[in-house]
Amino acid sequence: MSKIRHFIQQSWLLIAASFFFGLLIAVTSAGLSPRIEQNKINKRNRLVGALLPEARNFVALDTALEIVSVSGRKEKVEVFRAESEAAECVGWSFNAAGPGFADKIELVVAVDSKFEKIAGFDVLSSNETPGFGDQIKYDYYRNQYKGAPAGELELVSIGEPEDIDSKIVAITGATVSSEAVVEIISNSVTQVKEQMQGKGIIGNVKQQ
Amino acid sequence: MSNSSDARPALYSQTLLAGLWRENPILRLLLGMCPTLAVTAAVKPAFTMGCCVIFVLLCSNIIVSLMRNLLKPHLRILMFTLTIATFVTIADLFLKAFQPEMSETLGPYVPLIIVNCIIICRAEACASKNGLIVSIIDAFGMGVGFTVTLCVLASVRELLATGAIFEIQILALAKEGGWFVKWAAMGMPVGAFLTLGLMLGLVNLVTGKKA
Repeated sequence: MSKIRHFIQQSWLLIAASFFFGLLIAVTSAGLSPRIEQNKINKRNRLVGALLPEARNFVALDTALEIVSVSGRKEKVEVFRAESEAAECVGWSFNAAGPGFADKIELVVAVDSKFEKIAGFDVLSSNETPGFGDQIKYDYYRNQYKGAPAGELELVSIGEPEDIDSKIVAITGATVSSEAVVEIISNSVTQVKEQMQGKGIIGNVKQQ
Repeated sequence: MSNSSDARPALYSQTLLAGLWRENPILRLLLGMCPTLAVTAAVKPAFTMGCCVIFVLLCSNIIVSLMRNLLKPHLRILMFTLTIATFVTIADLFLKAFQPEMSETLGPYVPLIIVNCIIICRAEACASKNGLIVSIIDAFGMGVGFTVTLCVLASVRELLATGAIFEIQILALAKEGGWFVKWAAMGMPVGAFLTLGLMLGLVNLVTGKKA
């Protein structure tokens, strides 16, 4: 009994403070969570909206697909159907990630409605070297992907970035970052396409 | 009695000025080096980090000062950390909700304020030994001193790395017909070490201290 009393005498302030601070964080988090979640959705929609200009609405597929990531792990991918004002499918988008030069690179990838061509990608988060690897965010690099075939891509060191094909010209001084993006997109697009074809989702779009 | 009331304004101004110059956390105490080196590539993130530190410093100093007579000596560091972690989490949530892009730019450095030595140092050295008003003034002085120094450091780095300050173009870029060529190294960690080292040297020179 005296041990319990001693424990309470010593730590009552710590226990009370833990309870009070925990409550304070819980209330703040509950109050701000909807806004934080909305910010994430807005950012994604804004990025995909720029890649698929006709898209007005993004509807998540009922079932999440599972792909093997570049690093060899199984990851769930949520695919969104981009719809125009008339509710017609104008493309698809999903998030893809993989290891970059300094840290994980997270991308949002958009493809056309028939899953034949890549509509583009944008960077959700990355920590590539400023001035070098972070050029993966720049238009001149990203534009090479707009209209490229939705399949295996190849990184080349010399070429014309303006030519739209499966060959992606690497950023000078940032080959690792360039290669990382090519691998992430090739890997995810190929697997998502196969699974969507397998489930007849893309076939349904063709019929429309 | 009248002597102590006369001494108060002098104590308050001394406490305020200590953080700004005499005991400036970065330039004189060399505390909080992690955010100083990491978030000063541009002025905007540096200013945001400074504001977050002011908020956490103020809140933790107020709480620690209010409960200073209840603190058990062997549990005081635990209490300080608990208090600081709470307000850092709140600051991080507010940043994610109202400044999502800045929150992404600052990345892990906002949660890392928890281990920022400036805050625990002020809780231990000032708030746990002084009343509420002195603790608030101390937090404000230290916070502003930290923010101003971060912003000066970031201004130099941003100007040399991009030719801009606060994203306002100041130097005419060579590729746009001007003369300034971007110095990419200043935006990288090496730029932070170089600029901080030169600033510390300059401060030591001004104060007549030998490095």
